[in-house]
Amino acid sequence: MENKNNYKGWIYLLPAIILIALFTLYPLINTFLISFLEDYKYATGSSSGFTFDNYAVLLGLKEFPDYLTGKGQIDAFFQYALPNTLLITFITVPISIVLALIIAVALNSIKKLRTIFQTIFFTPYVTNIIAVGMVFGVLFSQTGLINEIFGTSISFIPGQGSDAPTYFHAMLVLCIEIVWYELPFKILVFIGGLQSIDRQYYDAARIDATPKIKRFLHITVPFLSPQILYVSITSFIDGFKEYQAIAGLFNSRGTTSLNYNLYTCVYFIYDQIQTGGQNINYACAAAVILFVIILLFTLLQLYVSKKRVYY
Amino acid sequence: MEIRLENINKIFKGDKKKGVEDTIAVSNLNIKINNGELAGLLGPSGCGKSTTLYMIAGLKEPTSGNIFFDKEDVTHLVPEKKGIGLVFQNYALYPHMSVYKNIAFPLTNLKVLTFKQSLKVKTLSLLISLLDNDKYLEIKELINSSTLDNKKINKDLALRNLINKYHISPSFAKTLFSLDYSSKESILETINKAKEDINKEIAKIKEKNGYTLDNEFYYLDQDNKKIEEKRKLSKDEIDILVRDVAKLVQIEEQLDKKPKELSGGQQQRVAIARALVKKPRVLLLDEPLSNLDARLRIKTREEIRRIQKETGITTVFVTHDQEEAMSICDDIFVMNNGKLMQEGKPIEVYKDPKNLFVAKFLGTPPINVFKGEFKNNAIYVDNEKILDNVKLCGENYTNLTFLSCYVAIRPEGFVFEDKNESLGLSLKVNEISLSGKEQTLICSHEQKLSEDIKIVIDGDAHISISEYRFTTKSNKIFLFDLNNEERIYFENASK
Repeated sequence: MENKNNYKGWIYLLPAIILIALFTLYPLINTFLISFLEDYKYATGSSSGFTFDNYAVLLGLKEFPDYLTGKGQIDAFFQYALPNTLLITFITVPISIVLALIIAVALNSIKKLRTIFQTIFFTPYVTNIIAVGMVFGVLFSQTGLINEIFGTSISFIPGQGSDAPTYFHAMLVLCIEIVWYELPFKILVFIGGLQSIDRQYYDAARIDATPKIKRFLHITVPFLSPQILYVSITSFIDGFKEYQAIAGLFNSRGTTSLNYNLYTCVYFIYDQIQTGGQNINYACAAAVILFVIILLFTLLQLYVSKKRVYY
Repeated sequence: MEIRLENINKIFKGDKKKGVEDTIAVSNLNIKINNGELAGLLGPSGCGKSTTLYMIAGLKEPTSGNIFFDKEDVTHLVPEKKGIGLVFQNYALYPHMSVYKNIAFPLTNLKVLTFKQSLKVKTLSLLISLLDNDKYLEIKELINSSTLDNKKINKDLALRNLINKYHISPSFAKTLFSLDYSSKESILETINKAKEDINKEIAKIKEKNGYTLDNEFYYLDQDNKKIEEKRKLSKDEIDILVRDVAKLVQIEEQLDKKPKELSGGQQQRVAIARALVKKPRVLLLDEPLSNLDARLRIKTREEIRRIQKETGITTVFVTHDQEEAMSICDDIFVMNNGKLMQEGKPIEVYKDPKNLFVAKFLGTPPINVFKGEFKNNAIYVDNEKILDNVKLCGENYTNLTFLSCYVAIRPEGFVFEDKNESLGLSLKVNEISLSGKEQTLICSHEQKLSEDIKIVIDGDAHISISEYRFTTKSNKIFLFDLNNEERIYFENASK
């Protein structure tokens, strides 16, 4: 501590630093650079110069150049991927946070059967999202359990022997799956927070004849605000990066009536890499756009939290 | 409010599988606390005093027995409905709320049954009465003098001054502040406007459901009866109550701060204010002073006494500190192992302990206990006669000629340089600490049962580290049975 140029510390850190530099920092910077290159060739690394066109095309401000292939995919970013990503995030994150909070409070207030319920709620956490997608696919198939229960035959999932689902139904199943899958981690964090709240605050509130709902809003929520902030920031980030759930559930980019109906930003980036990387400069630009959006939302939440979070 | 506990038992169930026995926290407790009294539940930790308090509060339910507030049985009433104020040991102030909001919080839940009143007419009449007959000049003067460094008028300061002087709500203070005081005409105009508005409002009420208003602006129906309504308190009413109680506990300056910005003593006051603001039937204090430093503790306990006297509210005070309880309580209840050992006025309990536990628990320095004997109509400790002409009382003891017993002597019960040759107790003085008018001697003795023998004598007595013979005062000597530690009373014929 006294010697600030402690080389020993640096030596201990060196393996981590090398790995981070190699696999995180270098790709990060490279992604940023490539996103500004015109006609970038993945194989040769050549380009015809610096440009903002990649961003302009992605954001629908400029036409995709004629001499390149893959117009449909690139256009789908602004048309479908970006709106879908925002929609999924803003639907699933608030719903799952509120649900998790309610479930955590309920779990925390029961004694009997608590472990059983906890196990039930925590199973998604140890389950693979692809497997979850397959199960949901069976449940929500046109002849599946859900349709059986409600006596309907709505098509939620595209597949053999079923009709093409509408955008609304496909999105509905997707959101239900994401909310269900995201719950356990949040419940875990909230229960941890709940157990650290001193019982005396509730006793004091009871003495003062505070109704239950008011106790929840004026004691539980403020005391959990650090956990709520943490969960909300991480789940917004997760939401913006949504991709696996779609792959698992639909086994495609969500072909309903149109090709790219349930496209998301990360799915788009993944597709660009998979298809040989001829338009990889666009994928990089998309990644940077996503990064900026996430950054803005995180800053916004931190700003709001300054007034609303009590440590 | 009189509080009565009848045959209260509280048993915490153990776990038989794990071999944990049931814990009897309170056993067969009977307590009566008179209306308007400050009662102290006193005992060492784990004696069941806090459990008793929480049972009175309703946060814990007695296993058996009944609790009465006056004639009402409140044993199974939930705390929400008991109408009590409770100050927790660590205050339990809501850290995210300002002091003001903390105190106001209980009021926001409160529903009151009142006679319906036209607040609008009331406010307007108040406005007229404050402005009329040139009284507006006083207000003008107050606002103009509300400056910091004699520069510009500070709005917040002006509002605070108005609220404090006229005892009005903040919203009304804002109205007063916003008036045009430049000329008499403008004030007269305001007054006329208010009078007009009053007449309009009265006409409106009359038209709507045929009600009229009486002199104090209460609604009257056709039979001239007041109309009842159940409602929540308005913001202005809450404000007045909060400021009143803040004044009572002297934290008016701290209302906008957060609890953690306050010192321990101030937090304590806020906690008391929060408990008092809803005008509870009973105030309960759970070890309220244990988080304060020694000096603040003495100050705060006087404060609690003052507040209790001012409000006249029946108060129960739990403490393990006998000095605290002795100094401020009207009545103390000494508990041990879930049982009531003795009750009464502090000084009476001190002077007349019923058993060895109470004798040892009360008093600083604690009482000195020796193993001694009663024989030949005298009391002996280690074959030294300390008191003669003694006759034991009580049917079990009167006829005895010899009895081994505990001899307990209060520290102030020793006399130095008394020229009595026949009576006395030899003590080896090991340490002397002088504290002004008196000195405390720490001594040792063969037959001592308490940790140290501490005696308090006059500060002028010349004493050094050596062995001395002290005589004793008969009214400071207590005898206790060796078996059940109960008091053995005796008569001393020599005095």
